[in-house]
Amino acid sequence: MNMPDSILEEKTGVVEGQPPWRRFASDFCESRLAVAGLTIFVLIALSAIFAPWITPQDPYDLMQIDILDGRLPPGSVSGEMTYLLGTDDQGRDMLSGIFYGLRTSLSVGAASTLIALFLGGSVGLIAAYFGGRVDTIIMRVADLQLSFPAILIALILVSILGQGVDKIIIALVGVQWAYYARTIRGTALVERRREYIEAATCLALSHRRIVFRHLLPNCTPPLIVVGTVQVAHAIALEATLSFLGIGIPITEPSLGLLIKNGFDYMLSGDYWISFYPGIALLITIVSINLVGDQLRDVLNPRLQR
Amino acid sequence: MKIRLISFAAAFAMTTLAPVMASAADLTVGLASEPSSIDPHYHNLGPNNEMRRHIFESLIWQDEQQKLTPLLATSWEPTSETTWEFKLRKGVKFHDGSDFTARDFVYTACRIPTVPNSPSSFTIYTSAMKKIETPDPHTLIIHTEKPYPLLPVELAVWGIISATANGVTGDITFNPDGTGCGITSFPQTKEFNSGQATIGTGMFKYGEYVKGDRYVMNRNDAYWGEGTEWDTVTFKPITNSAARVAALLAGDVDFISKPPTQDLERLESEPDITLSSMGSNRVIYLHMDQYGPSTPGVKGTGAPDGTYEGEGPCATSACEKNPLLDRRVRQALSKAINRDAIVDKVMGGYAVAAGELLPQGFFGTNEGAKPEAYDPEGAKKLLVEAGYPNGFELVLGTPNDRYINDAKIAQAIAQMFTRVGIKTSVNAMTKSVFFATRNKYEFSLYLAGWGSGTGEMSSPMRALVGTRDKSRGLGGTNRGRYSNPVIDDMIMEALSTVDDDKRATLLAESSRMAMEDYAILPLHFEVTIWAHRSDLSYGARADQYTMAIGINSKK
Repeated sequence: MNMPDSILEEKTGVVEGQPPWRRFASDFCESRLAVAGLTIFVLIALSAIFAPWITPQDPYDLMQIDILDGRLPPGSVSGEMTYLLGTDDQGRDMLSGIFYGLRTSLSVGAASTLIALFLGGSVGLIAAYFGGRVDTIIMRVADLQLSFPAILIALILVSILGQGVDKIIIALVGVQWAYYARTIRGTALVERRREYIEAATCLALSHRRIVFRHLLPNCTPPLIVVGTVQVAHAIALEATLSFLGIGIPITEPSLGLLIKNGFDYMLSGDYWISFYPGIALLITIVSINLVGDQLRDVLNPRLQR
Repeated sequence: MKIRLISFAAAFAMTTLAPVMASAADLTVGLASEPSSIDPHYHNLGPNNEMRRHIFESLIWQDEQQKLTPLLATSWEPTSETTWEFKLRKGVKFHDGSDFTARDFVYTACRIPTVPNSPSSFTIYTSAMKKIETPDPHTLIIHTEKPYPLLPVELAVWGIISATANGVTGDITFNPDGTGCGITSFPQTKEFNSGQATIGTGMFKYGEYVKGDRYVMNRNDAYWGEGTEWDTVTFKPITNSAARVAALLAGDVDFISKPPTQDLERLESEPDITLSSMGSNRVIYLHMDQYGPSTPGVKGTGAPDGTYEGEGPCATSACEKNPLLDRRVRQALSKAINRDAIVDKVMGGYAVAAGELLPQGFFGTNEGAKPEAYDPEGAKKLLVEAGYPNGFELVLGTPNDRYINDAKIAQAIAQMFTRVGIKTSVNAMTKSVFFATRNKYEFSLYLAGWGSGTGEMSSPMRALVGTRDKSRGLGGTNRGRYSNPVIDDMIMEALSTVDDDKRATLLAESSRMAMEDYAILPLHFEVTIWAHRSDLSYGARADQYTMAIGINSKK
């Protein structure tokens, strides 16, 4: 798992004498809620990363699950297994299923965000730096895409691309790049009129050097904030797609698919199949949002105390 | 602080209408799927056909078990190998008061091939008739080109409309060329939907039809038979199953079709609600690609060792052997499936494990044909014998919204196959994509279902097991492309044998051979369930139709 603040430490802008990362860290820690969010998120990320070593079962290995153990309530014992959170309709241990589901959800969220950040960021920078026709074309495409609901675009992309984790990531990148393009373009438009860019241009530095060595570092703070929030958004979108039954293969459920499996049994009272993955998803998204909100405050120069 | 959460569509959507005070003789039925039209000859589709039977009667009725019983025809018999005589019921009137005679039958047979834009035509049920004679208004003599034992069954599938009510008064001569027997203006599909042309002889009359919302029928007081106790029946399409169950629990509807398996326990525990169920003849099966030396969904079997007629050794870039050509592998697959576990755990007990393509007791089945016993050790041994001691990898294709719990069954099967060493992954997709993919032969193994309209073994054998051959009408849905000329010949012979006993024997024998060769793996027969108020009863039907005709109040 990639930790958003580890990127931050290196790249936040240069201010006063205090080392920037320390100022940043102390600002961030001012909000106890954000620290709590970060702690929870780290725990979730660790449990997702180490899922294969800490779960009692590999829920994706069809050898280990048995349909005859289907829909057991939490705490049931069957053979050598104790199902702490019960089983789903296919006999999958819910606890293992949730950890593995988190793995899928987080990696899809992180991978799609990083790729979209890279692509959208580059495109937005290019648009802002070169301006003119390039800018118009790129930004109109982004506007056009943003005028459609994200879920609709994701649905279309997934139905064209087909099943698989990689396809979901591509679809999510396709949905998200425009946010980054727009965000970075706004900042870059302001930055490129600054004197240091003028100076760099006078030195006849190459476009590439100016854009990536001078412009980009000064445009990152808003990108990081948008990125954090978008990770949560991507996770939610992936869960929605899985809930709708498209994207992830049904034998390798992510959180959304686990919730969907249990949703069928809600009226029958088998609450645990939907409930626990739902809670896991909720906590993940809330914790990421807590971190994201605090990052926004810390990195916003207008709120500088 | 904004927290993004996903909002799930609330499935507990109840209708907001205040419950209307219904008199005792009104009935409201919640349907899982609605008809595409009221036109009885527009679309050969379950929901259309079940609605059609209320209003337009056919010559022959199929009872709950799909046995043929008299309706507008009182008796019928073959008078030679290629001619049949039907005696028609006297004193039957259409809803507009005109008399029902043999002419109306001919008129309807003339209309069927002319219906424009029909998504699935009824022509297949009229094409066998080459000549129709009407010596008197209540006798029909039908000639077929070849011996055609299925004629009475097919005449139960389409309903008869009135010639007089549609403005044809003279004699009509049947012409098998499908151009309408010289009649130029048949009623249009939209005239049926508006009720203008919806005039039949049935015990119900057209009341009102609002597509997507309701189809109201009123009692036909002039009905020739016993008739119905309901003054008015309203059919409401409620396609979301949770909403349909909720509507029943809330009392908005009195009767629903297809309550979802997972809600059955809950419904059973309600004192005011009763379930009616009936084993259907819809078999859920696995088709295995048995066409070429290689197959798209298999990995880990090595290169194919022979060339195949008409194509090279590799049909795919993976270039792997097709293990499914080996009967032992097919048998191993069959033995690996725990059919009882699927019935109990996935289907909630509402299914019957299958040993043939039609349930016991149906025409052309082998008495005592048992489902393959669950034997994982035996399956492993067979795989070793066949040269796959380490198994192989397999992709199982399945629709996820077509049959009851289809994707769940496929997952359970994937578990069972994996246990005997065949690592199986499930590729589940929505039905339109699934059927398109299947028709391109992109599955090595797929799950599907077949409901037999005629209720006899010729239907699944012909469609699912016969070698694909358009000219003989065989193998229409045989996308596993199993081929056995001996079985083909037996099916063809049965299809032209009018003698029932002889035909049953032929069909049973062909079925036995197909099962012994593991041409196709039957899993189970769906059990159709209806949920309704406890003071109602339903004559549950094997053909899965939901009809007010069978709904009665308990006295």
